[in-house]
Amino acid sequence: MASSAIQPGVLVALQELEPSSPFFKEGQSVRVTGRLQSYSAETAIAVIVDGGANLSIDTKHLRDISFRTDSIYQFIGELIIQHENHVVVETRVGRNVDGVDLNLYHQSIQLRRKLESDLLKSKPNPTF
Amino acid sequence: MDPTRSTHVKLLAADFLSLAVSPSVPPTFTRRTRPVSRAEAVGVVVSRDSRQKFLRFLLDDGSGCVPCVIWLNHHLLLPRLSTSAASAASADLDAASARAHAGKVRLGELLRVRGRVTVYRGELQITVKDVVVERDPNSEVLHWLHCIKLARDCYDLLPPATATDYRR
Repeated sequence: MASSAIQPGVLVALQELEPSSPFFKEGQSVRVTGRLQSYSAETAIAVIVDGGANLSIDTKHLRDISFRTDSIYQFIGELIIQHENHVVVETRVGRNVDGVDLNLYHQSIQLRRKLESDLLKSKPNPTF
Repeated sequence: MDPTRSTHVKLLAADFLSLAVSPSVPPTFTRRTRPVSRAEAVGVVVSRDSRQKFLRFLLDDGSGCVPCVIWLNHHLLLPRLSTSAASAASADLDAASARAHAGKVRLGELLRVRGRVTVYRGELQITVKDVVVERDPNSEVLHWLHCIKLARDCYDLLPPATATDYRR
């Protein structure tokens, strides 16, 4: 297990995955959360929605997960930027997170980013 | 004694991976000069490497991936000449406990782990003593908020004055 080869899935809101965002990069590892709008067993593509934005998730690598429309799911994977800036997340792990307080979740992400930014500034040689 | 030395310090992965490592043998660890020997981390299992003597896995909390190890070789650690039934029973319990914890580590699972801070091949890791599967997705958010609050209100501050200071 080469731990340094596996990048952490940066917490992003679905609305942030647009071309002007710093997270909008081919291969960027992200963690996304949203309500399941649709799932195709044929293509293994799930579509999740949150905050007025939607995102396609390629779930072909996932095992032991069942999909229920309107449940909330969280996925960690890499961004694949297709034609016309259409984004798909090729997910490595996923889980049902029904019961999560999405408002608190998004507010906490903002607080975390401030802490992580402060950590970066306080270190002479940042590692993340 | 600084209380951070004897508690499981709650840290986000980025903070944990930034701990300073002393060149001493065995190494010691500090966060902004405050000693840290045990840590608590919460994250999603994103990799898992199971061997006969140990289980290594990574916990991803979004700010980094914390390497964790659970040792499974307790039966090999008993001194060969030990005839103590109590030692053997204790080792059996440790081995059973370690196997039970290892069984909880599955890809995609949200885990809370506690253990000692150690180093392996120059890389910080947690040698895990306890594993809890967190079923409530809000528990991870709560952990983040705890990490932020503890960093601001406790870990970032100077250590408390020692008893000798009060006698002056």
